[in-house]
Amino acid sequence: MIRPFPTSNTALTARVFAALAGAAVVYSTQAFAQLTPGGITMQPPNSALAEEVHHFHNGVLLPIITFICIFVLGLLTWVVVKYNARANPTPRKFSHNTLVEVLWTGIPIMILLFIALPSFELLYKEDIVPDGKQVSIPADGATTEFAFANDFPESRMVRRKRHVQVFLETGGEMRELKRRTDYRLDGLGEQAVIVAFNEAPSAGETVVIRGGRSVDQRGDVVLAPSMTLKVTGYQWNWSYAYPDFGDFEFFSNMAAEDQTTPELYRLEVDNRFLVPVGETIRITTTAKDVIHAFALPAFAIKIDAVPGRINETWFRADREGVFYGQCSEICGIKHAFMPIAVEVVSRDKFEAWVDSQRAVAGLDPMFQVAGAPAAGAAKLAALAEDTTAAASAGADQ
Amino acid sequence: MADAQTAHADDHEHTPPFLVRWLFSTNHKDIGTLYLLFAILAGIVGGAMSGLMRMELAEPGVTVLTAFSGGNVEAAYNFYNVLVTYHGLIMIFFMVMPAMIGGFGNWFVPIMIGAPDMAFPRMNNISFWLYVASGILATLSLFAPGYGSNIGFGGGWVMYPPLSANTGSPGPAMDLLILSLHLAGASSILGSINFITTIFNMRAPGMTLHKMPLFAWSVLVTAFLLVLSLPVLAGAITMLLTDRNFGTAFFDAAGGGDPILYQHLFWFFGHPEVYILILPGFGIISHIVSTFSKKPIFGYLGMAYAMVAIGFVGFIVWAHHMYTVGLSVNMKAYFVAATMVIAVPTGVKIFSWIATMWGGSITFKTPMLWAVGFIFLFTVGGVTGVVLANAGIDHYVHDTYYVVAHFHYVLSLGAVFAIFAGWYYWFSKMFGVEYREWLGALHFWVMFIGVNLIFFPQHFLGLQGMPRRYIDYPEAFTLWNYVSSVGYLVMVFALVIFAIAMFDAFFVYRRKAVSNPWGEGATTLEWTLSSPPPFHQFNDLPRFDRDDAKAF
Repeated sequence: MIRPFPTSNTALTARVFAALAGAAVVYSTQAFAQLTPGGITMQPPNSALAEEVHHFHNGVLLPIITFICIFVLGLLTWVVVKYNARANPTPRKFSHNTLVEVLWTGIPIMILLFIALPSFELLYKEDIVPDGKQVSIPADGATTEFAFANDFPESRMVRRKRHVQVFLETGGEMRELKRRTDYRLDGLGEQAVIVAFNEAPSAGETVVIRGGRSVDQRGDVVLAPSMTLKVTGYQWNWSYAYPDFGDFEFFSNMAAEDQTTPELYRLEVDNRFLVPVGETIRITTTAKDVIHAFALPAFAIKIDAVPGRINETWFRADREGVFYGQCSEICGIKHAFMPIAVEVVSRDKFEAWVDSQRAVAGLDPMFQVAGAPAAGAAKLAALAEDTTAAASAGADQ
Repeated sequence: MADAQTAHADDHEHTPPFLVRWLFSTNHKDIGTLYLLFAILAGIVGGAMSGLMRMELAEPGVTVLTAFSGGNVEAAYNFYNVLVTYHGLIMIFFMVMPAMIGGFGNWFVPIMIGAPDMAFPRMNNISFWLYVASGILATLSLFAPGYGSNIGFGGGWVMYPPLSANTGSPGPAMDLLILSLHLAGASSILGSINFITTIFNMRAPGMTLHKMPLFAWSVLVTAFLLVLSLPVLAGAITMLLTDRNFGTAFFDAAGGGDPILYQHLFWFFGHPEVYILILPGFGIISHIVSTFSKKPIFGYLGMAYAMVAIGFVGFIVWAHHMYTVGLSVNMKAYFVAATMVIAVPTGVKIFSWIATMWGGSITFKTPMLWAVGFIFLFTVGGVTGVVLANAGIDHYVHDTYYVVAHFHYVLSLGAVFAIFAGWYYWFSKMFGVEYREWLGALHFWVMFIGVNLIFFPQHFLGLQGMPRRYIDYPEAFTLWNYVSSVGYLVMVFALVIFAIAMFDAFFVYRRKAVSNPWGEGATTLEWTLSSPPPFHQFNDLPRFDRDDAKAF
């Protein structure tokens, strides 16, 4: 399945409509809590990474630990039945058995290795913010070879076939191509990776190449973040800022009991933050007073917000909807009352919302510049550059 | 008649008069008893605190603790955090540690190694009274202002700055708590020096380290952990103290410090600390399993060195408590690997206990019930530890009730079961009277049901994402919180049975204990002495250097 993703082409057409819709679209009424009353499992995942966390926990760890507990319980039961004083009046006197001692040291080591390998893979996927890159090249009907600049740092260069995905885009429809059947790859690990088509794609189609080392468990190359969300923890609320869109910032407090439903009370907030669906979102956290922790279980992320430090994590939502988290580091008397709520929306809704927030902050609209959508995109690029420069300057200090 | 005999025995042993005996005591058994009384008192306070928390959490909304704050909701929030904090500190520093190391360690390490007393009896005395002073300071801090006009420090037992610094808790409650921990630490260091010296120098002739009973081994390893880790805690909380009062900025980012540095220092102490809490329990369980199986402990050397290995590895895994603070990914990967290693020696111990029972002729007296319960529950707590060791999963369950369930399975159901096992195992030896067997067994079964009801559902809450240290929660978490609170009531009922069993043993049943009630399986030296042992034992040292004498 191919999820929507932000190419300038696909999103632009809808922008005018989104602008008309304005700020009214912000609060979706079909908010649902991902919690199951009396539930005993992890919250439903809403990203490929969270799914992988689920698979690792439910598919690897839980069966192993359940088996170990049942095995130990079984041994204890056996011993209790077989070797109680009535069943076995004369105790044996052995106190060594080299074979079983080697076994019960060696087998656990093997089990742990079996756990450790997927565990490391998952950990590195979680902690390394994806840096995948996408290039779109219009086809002319004759060219069969398309180049992908492998300009990543040495340790992050595209080296394997699974690091590259090739799509053909026609009229906003994306179709993933099959390696060997449709194309071959040359120059993996070199400066330019060449995608050689077996048949030249026809004119009017666009060749879309994604490359990068961040590959999710579905085999999709994860692109670099399209935006950064700046989260700041306070006693006892959160603030969210959008440095890529003019750095507007707003506070988010827990919604009062009469402002929400009984199910959502203590989870719902007055101002949710919005992110676009299907895009990689970089989150940076810090705090102004004491340590807090930003957590969104649906995306399996949790990262402390520490005064004087900036932490980083990321997520990419699969589905639209509202998702909740709660502060996860004790931070004083109202620790239980500073929830986190994110609304995952379409790109269009997101842009309309950004413009409405910019209006609140006294900034010009960024996306709804009538008749000249490209200007908005240029502005976005310029802003992104500015904030990147500012961020790196900040990091140097 | 019995009274006359006791009086006579006392005269014969030149037992000091009451005040001198209990206030100025230099006798390891009396000091052990004092520690046990201290631990029982602290356990009642710490347990009552968890009761208030469980009652508050029985259903959503803040409904119970407001009764203690005159209806002031914010004071109730603060009170909950204070309960969380002091429940943890009291149970760790003033209940489990004094019971296991101060109580059973003082009572039985000298006897098991054939020594007349501890190496430094007077230091033993000050070590206990420092603990009392520490307890008094902690109690004072409960009633001193912390945040605003609220009393007590409510930042969790880990006391992370800036919440524990002037930013989060400007009042003197935190300062008193720091001083309390300084004294508790000094006390434990003195006690540990005493144990190490005693064990290294005062073993009976011929009792090599490799012939030494496993409980003595466990206390030896524990003492080393204490000596090596507590100074680090002392350093960390001293820096916190100067940050709070003398304008330093060790943990203040605005002054060039780093709040995460505190966490590294704290957990460099804190992780060995959790092994300090459980290792003596390992020793106790080994003796009980061997005694009631009528078999020598399986793989004695493996058991001893598994504890050494656990102690050693315990020092190099601390940052697994800090997976979400923003460590580099390579650092996390190291701590994942190192943490998993602990499962191996721990598994060796679990399987060795089962192998000790294998082929034995087991009688399920009360201590053995607790020991078998311990083995299973510790396994459950151990495997969830393997889950938590994986940073990739910990990013989901960190600081949720899954963690609470995990460490209560290894401590509340592990360490505490070991303490009860030891209590019933040595009860007649320490106090010279026997308890009614069926009362002890009933206590075990009710408690087993109660604690599992409390803590097993907390795994579900954690997986659903409920954060810990929350006074209030969304409605979806209601069911399992309610079950957990019901479990608490069952556990309280079990403790009432315990109180009845003890009252009965001392005042109703009053059956005089024999020197060895457990029979041929009980081979350690304490069972060669009368019950209770004479005020001074081993006027003639037991010898292990002749024939094929065995110490365990």
